[in-house]
Amino acid sequence: MFNISNLKYTYKENEIKNDYNFSLNVKQSEIVGIIGQSGSGKSTLLDLLAGFLAPISGNITFNDIDITTLNTENRPLTILFQKYNTFEHLSVIKNVLLGINTSFKVKEEEIKEAMIILKEVGLDGFEDKLASTLSGGQSQRVALARCLIRKKPILLLDEPFTGLDSNTKEKMLELVKEITEKLKLYTIMVTHDLSDCEKIANRVYKVENGKTSIFKFV
Amino acid sequence: MIKLLKYLTCFSLLITLLQAEENKPTLVVYTYDSFAASWGPAPKVKEAFEKTCNCNLKFVSTSSSITALRKIQLEGSNTKADVLLGLDKSSAGIARNTNLFINHNIDTSKLDLPVKWKDKEFLPYDYGYFAFVYDSLKTKKVPKSFDELLLMPKNFKIIIQDPRSSTPGLGLLLWIKKIYGENADAYWKELSPRILTVTKGWSEAYGLFLKGEADMVLSYTTSPAYHIIAENKTNYKTANFKEGHYGQVEVSGILKSSKQKKLAKQFLEFTNSETFADIIPTTNWLYPVVTTKKGLPKEFSSLEPASKMLLLEDDDIEKNRKKYQNEWLNAIK
Amino acid sequence: MPLNSIYRFRLSLIPGGLLSILLLFLAFAIFFILFSNIDNKDFFSSIITSRIFDLVRFTVYQALLSTLFSILLGTVLAWALTHQNSFKSRSYLIALLSSSLILPTLIVVFGIITVLGQNGWLNRALLYLFDYSFENSIYGLSGILIAHVYLNASFVARSLLHVFESIPKERYKLAKSLNFSTIQRFRYIEFPAIKLSLRSISSTIFLLCFTSFAIVLTLGGSPSYNTLEVAIYEAIKIDFDIPLALKLAFIQLSITIVLVFLSANFKVGISDIKTSTQKIPWLETKKLRILQISIILFSSILFILPLVSILIDGLGANFIKIFSDIVFIESFITSLIIASISSILTVLFALLISDTRRNFNINHRIKKTKFRSFINMIIAFSGNIYLAIPSLILGLGFFLLSLKFEAPLSYWAFGSVLCANILMSLPFALSILYPPMANVAQRYDKLSFSLNLKGSKRWLYCEWPYIKSSVLYVFALSFCLSLGDLGVIALFGSDEISTLPWYLYNLMGSYQTKDAAGVALILLILTLSVFIFLPRIFTRKKDV
Repeated sequence: MFNISNLKYTYKENEIKNDYNFSLNVKQSEIVGIIGQSGSGKSTLLDLLAGFLAPISGNITFNDIDITTLNTENRPLTILFQKYNTFEHLSVIKNVLLGINTSFKVKEEEIKEAMIILKEVGLDGFEDKLASTLSGGQSQRVALARCLIRKKPILLLDEPFTGLDSNTKEKMLELVKEITEKLKLYTIMVTHDLSDCEKIANRVYKVENGKTSIFKFV
Repeated sequence: MIKLLKYLTCFSLLITLLQAEENKPTLVVYTYDSFAASWGPAPKVKEAFEKTCNCNLKFVSTSSSITALRKIQLEGSNTKADVLLGLDKSSAGIARNTNLFINHNIDTSKLDLPVKWKDKEFLPYDYGYFAFVYDSLKTKKVPKSFDELLLMPKNFKIIIQDPRSSTPGLGLLLWIKKIYGENADAYWKELSPRILTVTKGWSEAYGLFLKGEADMVLSYTTSPAYHIIAENKTNYKTANFKEGHYGQVEVSGILKSSKQKKLAKQFLEFTNSETFADIIPTTNWLYPVVTTKKGLPKEFSSLEPASKMLLLEDDDIEKNRKKYQNEWLNAIK
Repeated sequence: MPLNSIYRFRLSLIPGGLLSILLLFLAFAIFFILFSNIDNKDFFSSIITSRIFDLVRFTVYQALLSTLFSILLGTVLAWALTHQNSFKSRSYLIALLSSSLILPTLIVVFGIITVLGQNGWLNRALLYLFDYSFENSIYGLSGILIAHVYLNASFVARSLLHVFESIPKERYKLAKSLNFSTIQRFRYIEFPAIKLSLRSISSTIFLLCFTSFAIVLTLGGSPSYNTLEVAIYEAIKIDFDIPLALKLAFIQLSITIVLVFLSANFKVGISDIKTSTQKIPWLETKKLRILQISIILFSSILFILPLVSILIDGLGANFIKIFSDIVFIESFITSLIIASISSILTVLFALLISDTRRNFNINHRIKKTKFRSFINMIIAFSGNIYLAIPSLILGLGFFLLSLKFEAPLSYWAFGSVLCANILMSLPFALSILYPPMANVAQRYDKLSFSLNLKGSKRWLYCEWPYIKSSVLYVFALSFCLSLGDLGVIALFGSDEISTLPWYLYNLMGSYQTKDAAGVALILLILTLSVFIFLPRIFTRKKDV
């Protein structure tokens, strides 16, 4: 169980001041959707979860272990960003390998593993292609592959399919659902599109005025 | 890149080898470029002096003698100069005020100069008269006085030197001052539109003139001798001004900081020898300070003689040089 | 550790931060040295003599005129090029315009004299054809203006061309549908787009012309056409009047510092971005087309002719004589060494300073506060101090230092030329390297942190590929700027230490024109080859 309780944060810049107070939880093999208007605090929530921001109070626990004070790289989670997910000048397989090995020497097992995961996300045969030659959807698949190779239980998705055409988006959402169930991940998907949640989310939270609340479909 | 490095290392090895050969003392003389040039007096002077001194004579050249003095000042106590050669009577005062020179203690009573020599720190080695040089093939009509110069047509251009950096430049300033006195800056204001350009030194100006950029250039009454003797050209002449011509006596002095004072004095004495006096007329194109058995080349007698030599008093110059220069700067705007 | 904790970025703060502080310290040190050498009584008694007033007046006057003409010609040329974007040699012309920045000023002067001098090509042609030659010589205000316009109008044209081409084509379509005339089109669509750039470019050019040295030194002709910078040089080198030099230096400093603060948003935007060949949906009338083509033709001739003249005159030089002159070889080697060291250091400094500065400009790193913007500005200013402290004043400071410490003058000379060259290239280097570095941080920070990509690995994967071409461009740029610089070396140049431009200057001064042309050609070829080929060599090797 991935639990966030009363995570408080204040954003102050120039004359704008916003107070946030987030509470939510995610079960294993579950996809939780988070929706809200632009500027409601969705990205702040994600930044807090990822560890890019430090909360004023409250805690984040995973299976009863408090991870609130851990650095991003040490948290049991991996993030799929909206854009700038790949390093354009590197090949697909190198991009994926960066998830587990940032040094120059790569082990044989690691390459094998990467190939398997590429197949899982449907990019079989794309290993040596340069990331700059990929389409939007393909890039996001590479990023997803990299997330998966890290074998972290929690998957955070930051509006990752915005800007893709509806067909590709559909396929990507399906992929996320498939992988969450297969690998028993705890998935949080932040999006502004309700229909994304309708398609694959088990539960949905709405972020409004800096607070989270359960959202019920009508 | 690697080739360049190889060249560099070979080159520096060569230099160190060459320097290792020299265990004779070196006398360093700072002077103006036309003296130190290969077509100037330097090569013959070096050859002749090195025969008698058992030393190496090295000339360091700058664009003018005053620039050489400034170079010595800029180098401060690290200067390599032993002797400064090329200032003249008018600019010696500048050098004197720097307190960088010592007395030469050489007898000057037997020198053959139009004026009696009293300066204890600086010793003359040649002299001449300033005059405007023109090309008689290109310019048909030239002025016979400074007043007439103002009457020349608008497109009659002259090239002069900066009095702050060049001894001919300073000479012209003092020449006009001598003739016009209080009205000198009014004269300069009127002359200003005819000045094509003001150069830092004599060679720049003369080179420009030879390229055909102007009608007259400030130089010496003896300049045409070069063209007659070396080039067989008789078209270069000087404009004879009826007020008289300002004189220049070129001098040399010994640096206080010199580590070769004895050798330096030997050199200064050499500049008053007959050997030196025979070299000067056909290399520096000025009059020597000593009459020799050989005498002057015969072509010198065909030159326009100066009607009289004009000079301002030494202490007048030393006191007012800066003031006169500023007047000039303000007048030629 | 959160993203906005500065502790995370401590490593990027320290080197660059130290550099910024060092630069600011240098500025203060120069001030201090100058100040401590003043002899109070002498200084304040006649701080503004009529001569100094005239100097300031002329300096400002020629800078104003130069800026005005450069902007006019540059804008018109950029406008003409925008609308005529499909003729064959267009890319060559634009490359030529871009290269004007790195052309050694002496080369430009030499070329201008050869073409427009009293005995130059133009006059000789006129004499031959019409038996008429220009009375006014190239020396003086006209020469200075022509040289300034040559160098700056091309810079203006290149910068504005980029801006013109960024105007969305839809706006032209809109204007066309509203039946705008050419003047209306310029007034409502083109001018607003270039207005901002014009402002920053004008202030840049004004500063450059105000502190211009080599051009005024060679083309000024007489002391009545001196600017403050040249007057300082003459006060030191010719008069050895240090109090006067100090006076002039202070007056110049007070003016330049005010100017730099006024043009605080100073951006020197040079880029090697390819120009667009997208057609503007507006076919010009025949008359206009002829006008634009003539402008382009005229400008091309203006820019190419001096360079061509150097080529032609230079080829007739006695290269054996030149290459056997020891002073030439020494100057050549010295120039190469100084250029190499200064460009390497410039790139290094620019990278470090940019690395530090971007911490203060990115929202997720440090919160946006007034303090943050202040630090941002300070760091930016530290990179640009050269604009406030021009080379001769730097030289004067170093010279005064050399009087205090007993090292040989040639060491001080080497150091001050190196220092001046680095400071001179730094503003350009920063303006080219900083934007991509800030972009990389903006885009890839989160990804890098989540992947635990730090330090040298982050540089390798994240930063280097995106800034590689800019780094090489900056390296080539600094190298060429240093190679062709005639500034501080004029003060210190002597038999012991000489650079190529100084050597050329002396040749020009003694009117050994044939040799001078040869050396000018060598310098021109060297500069152009480095600028064109250097970036290409490296990208070709690594780009697989």
